[in-house]
Parts: sequence; C-alpha cells; structure tokens
Amino acid sequence: MISSNKNEKQLVKQLLAGDPAAFESLVGDYQNLMISVARAIIGEAFADEVVQDAWMSAIKALPKFESRSSLKTWLLHIVSNGAKSRLRREKRQLSLDDGWQSESSDKFDGRGHRYDDVLPWEDDTPEALLANQELSQIIEACFQQLPALQRAALTLYDMEGVKMAEVCNILDISASNARVLLHRARTTLHHTIEQYRNPK
Amino acid sequence: MAQCKDIAEEANQYIDGDLPLRRRISLYFHLVVCKCCRVYLDQMRDTIRAVTVFKPKEAINQDIKSLAQRLREESQK
Repeated sequence: MISSNKNEKQLVKQLLAGDPAAFESLVGDYQNLMISVARAIIGEAFADEVVQDAWMSAIKALPKFESRSSLKTWLLHIVSNGAKSRLRREKRQLSLDDGWQSESSDKFDGRGHRYDDVLPWEDDTPEALLANQELSQIIEACFQQLPALQRAALTLYDMEGVKMAEVCNILDISASNARVLLHRARTTLHHTIEQYRNPK
Repeated sequence: MAQCKDIAEEANQYIDGDLPLRRRISLYFHLVVCKCCRVYLDQMRDTIRAVTVFKPKEAINQDIKSLAQRLREESQK
C-alpha cells in the first residue's frame, strides 16, 4: 500500500512534468475502467465523450490531487460524476431489466432439490488457468456479451477489489441492485465455463 | 432448511459473506448434506477466481497512445 502510494505520487510528479510515458501509463491503466463505468451509467452512445471530458477535467485538476484517495478512485469518481450529470441532462434512464433468466426451474423438483448431479471441474492452479487460451477466449467473449452494468459491477468488485459501498456510489445504484448485477454476471460466466468444462 | 434452488440463488451472497447469520446457517446446513451444492459452490468460487486471473477488459474504441498525447498537450497549455 505504501509503495503503491509512493508510486502514485511519483506518477503524478511525472505527469505534472509532462512525461509522455507517464501519460501513456495512466491512460493505459485506467481507460478501460473509466469506459466501463461511463457505459454502465450513461450507455454506449455517450460513454466515449463522457470519458474524454473526464480525462480533461482530471488533467486540469491534477495539480490539486492530494492523494487522499487513490488515483483510481479519484478518476472513477470524476467519470462517474460526469456520466451522472450527463444522464440528468439527457433525461435518460437505464434499466436493470436486461432480460435475465434465473437458474432454469426445470433443474429443480417441486421441493427445490436438483434433479441432476453437479460434476466437479478440474482443479487448476492460477498458472494452469492462465495457460488455458481456450478458456481465456471463452471468458472474454462471455464478458463482452454481458450488459454494461453487469460488466462494470463485476470489473469493479471482483477484478479491481473496489468495496461494495464504493461500487454503489460510483455506479449510483443501491447495494441490493449491485448484488443482483454481480450475481447475474457471475452466474452467466459460470454457465459458460460449465458448458466448456462439462459439455453435454 | 434451505434447498438446492436457494443455494443457486444465494451462492454469491454466501461466498461474499453478505447474508444475515440465520440465512447463512440455513444454507450451511444444506451444504453439509448436499454434495451437488458443495460442488456448485466450488464452481462459483472457481468462476470468480477465473475472472480475477484472466481479467477480461472492457473493449475500447480509442487509441491509448493518441489519447495520452492529447492529454499531455492539454496539460502543457
């Protein structure tokens, strides 16, 4: 934590000095994440524009950045606030209703017991997982098909380790909605991996 | 006591430690007696692990280098 804080301070110094490599590193690290948040809040059509505006605001405000939060959290709040005000301006409303179908009821009997056995997956180490190109492509393709809000919830909570309260604040959703989004995203990915691991 | 369907619906909250204690205990007792649901829960944990290992990224339309250059120019103004 201390060293990442130190690295961030160093990065901010380099950015203020106009170091081209520092700008590439900053944009490379956070552009996908910022786009993810913008798409979740305002939708695909305005996301690029909102993120560009957020970057401009961030660069202008950079001399005042005081490391009270991490650079990531700071940038995510800038893009989130930009997307929320754009949403108000456009008077748009994004719905959580994304055609989700819960676990199909034909898997369970009238008392809620499973009809079929669930077969265990191969127990891969993280290294073995990483070497599995096919699985990587399957997960990537499934992720891209998820609705934007589900992708953002999964990215922030599972991949970036952002706390649930912060996820809700950034995406402007309630904790119960965030839980629903996370459940749907993980369950869809689980089904996809299950089809790959135990094809019928 | 909870049933298999409840495990399917609440596995994620169980994994994240986000269920009230009574509900958690109810799911736990079902897991003790149901191998299928234990396997399902393991699979869900593996799914989360796979996502954190592969870290699929949001697709972007913009070129990182040119955006970085534009921001740098903007910062120099």
